[in-house]
Amino acid sequence: MQLIVTAIGKAYASVQAVDKVSFHINSGDIFALLGPNGAGKSSIIRMLVGMTRPDSGSILVSYQSQHFDHVPRRLLGYLPEDRGLYPDKSIEKNLLYLAQLHGLSKSQALTEMAVWLDVFDLTERRHDELKQLSKGNQQKVQLIAAVLHKPALVILDEPFSGLDPINQEKVVQFLRELKARGMTVILSAHQMAMVEKLADHMLLMARGRVVLAGTLEQIRAQSQSQRQLKVAFSQPVSMAQLAALSSISRAEQVSQQHWLLSLSEPHSVSQCLQQLLALGELTQVEMQTADLHQLYLTAMAKHQPQPKPEVTA
Amino acid sequence: MISRQSLIVARWEFLRFFKWKQQLISYLLMLGVIAAVALWSFFTDESRQQYRIAVPAGFAIDNTEQFQFQRPSISVEAQLAQLQSDESWHAVLTTSQDGIVIHTQSGKKWLSQLEQVLQQHYRKQAALGMGLTDSQLAQLEQPVAINTQYLDQSYKGKDTPEKMIAIGALLLLFIGLTTAFGQVLVSITGEKQQRVTEQLYAILTPQQWMDGKVLGHSFSALKAMFTSALVMLLTFAVVSVFAEKSLDLAWLDISVVLWLVPFALLGVVLCASFMGAIAASIDDPNNSGKGAVMMITWLPMLFTYLVIDSPNGWGMTLLSYLPLTSFAAMPVKLAMVELAWWQPLLSLLLLLATVWWMRRVAGRVFLRGMQLYGKEPSWGEIVRWALSNKAD
Repeated sequence: MQLIVTAIGKAYASVQAVDKVSFHINSGDIFALLGPNGAGKSSIIRMLVGMTRPDSGSILVSYQSQHFDHVPRRLLGYLPEDRGLYPDKSIEKNLLYLAQLHGLSKSQALTEMAVWLDVFDLTERRHDELKQLSKGNQQKVQLIAAVLHKPALVILDEPFSGLDPINQEKVVQFLRELKARGMTVILSAHQMAMVEKLADHMLLMARGRVVLAGTLEQIRAQSQSQRQLKVAFSQPVSMAQLAALSSISRAEQVSQQHWLLSLSEPHSVSQCLQQLLALGELTQVEMQTADLHQLYLTAMAKHQPQPKPEVTA
Repeated sequence: MISRQSLIVARWEFLRFFKWKQQLISYLLMLGVIAAVALWSFFTDESRQQYRIAVPAGFAIDNTEQFQFQRPSISVEAQLAQLQSDESWHAVLTTSQDGIVIHTQSGKKWLSQLEQVLQQHYRKQAALGMGLTDSQLAQLEQPVAINTQYLDQSYKGKDTPEKMIAIGALLLLFIGLTTAFGQVLVSITGEKQQRVTEQLYAILTPQQWMDGKVLGHSFSALKAMFTSALVMLLTFAVVSVFAEKSLDLAWLDISVVLWLVPFALLGVVLCASFMGAIAASIDDPNNSGKGAVMMITWLPMLFTYLVIDSPNGWGMTLLSYLPLTSFAAMPVKLAMVELAWWQPLLSLLLLLATVWWMRRVAGRVFLRGMQLYGKEPSWGEIVRWALSNKAD
């Protein structure tokens, strides 16, 4: 399966929800759509699913020499942003109904269901009505419903929302299992730590536009995040001493002997170390790399709308 | 024509509302209520008791099964005292210049029956005064037999068992459509509220979804009609047993029943499709006035009932061919008038075509309504969608 999205746009009333967004996803990848609320993630997902059509641009889904303008239902496992099941029915009845709608026989559905219920520790509760479950457990049932029929592509809109950290880890394991089974996964999320562990490629969006795209390394490169060094001196040094160094643009004292230093362009790490050694003996040197959370916040800060200047009389 | 997925949805919807234990309990309760009413009527029926009536000494009136007229030798005051103390008498009759005065403790149902007996007695006395014999008096009281001869040989007659079948058919349709009304509204708006709709859209087309819904709730409606018909027949059988009559079902015209089934089925599907389209356009049932529009589906039964006494009139003829009303009117017309075979068949075909169109409309409204994400469409938008061709 391959999915190529080329310059798609979508407007609702006066709001441009998606603006010339392009990306491609290869078979077996985990692809993450990231961005704050209103960034356009769900609008993209609805176009991929075929619920809405792009106003401009194109979507091309290729599967076994066949081509489609959205993901065909038979290939799709979907967890929508607005989701729910039948609260007055048991887990088993809910899952059986959706699996049979996907074309599975009753015995196939029960076999697959047993596997996933075990993964999510829900086997004992299979006959409980959905309304008796916690929100987190209901979320797990919905995740199972999305993959029970072994789809080629799984689209999960906010799969981590409403889950505690332990269950978030379970979802991470679940997504790895999907990848191991050869499924292609598209997910949207806010939980950067989770996405960082999983996603092969990601797309950071703000106000309908692509801000950063690619692998985590590519995004780091694109974001041009500041290089930082965490160092410790054997003897105390002063802020004034560090500020006088040309290779340091910013210094922050973490403890009496520990400092977090931002390197100034175009100095290299070795030039900086030479200048630091001139101040005293170093007992610890650690290169700091910005994680996805920091990259996300930095990128979003750059794309926040500028406040309007205040008008004074 | 109907996909496998639609059949799965239909089965799910049918079983979702098929609570056989509750239904059995409700029928048993209904039979219990009917039995309680019958028993209460039986035990409080005053006409089966005997009443002692004190009359003046010269008042020559014959006893009946219900009333025993006695002429006590004590004074009227003493009779009234006995009446007051609830002894000896149920009523005391005295005469006055205006006629008869009935003295009794309080208003009773049997008093009207006593009045009839007294009226009969006075008519008889008056007739005897005029020199009439008992047989002449009986002849005078005999009503004239008036028979109507209908030149239209197809008309089966007024106030016949056929009319009862026709009214029964309308009643059953009303029960079926009321069942569908409630279920379709709860099912479709409930799924929106429980946010299942988007998930289902990723699995099956809006048309498959709507077909399944309509079919499932139509079966529920037919089941309600069938069980209600059984309860009616059971009640008829119980009443026959109590009335010590043999159970006679000769009035049940099987050919009418055989026509009634396809008309009822298509009528229910037509109305359920219409209800489905309206329900699909409702975002929040608590804040929408659109649900009441679904009650339009009851109008065909009302219009048909209003012209039930003129089954050959232009009104009934129009209703029996108009596809939006024929499901109610044609079975009624069939029950009351002999028709050529092609007439109900033509009506049925027109109805079938309309059902096909309406199910497509329902599918289109559901698709477009879902794409509005929380906004409720206007009537103008619904009409535009209904007339468009986009179905997926």
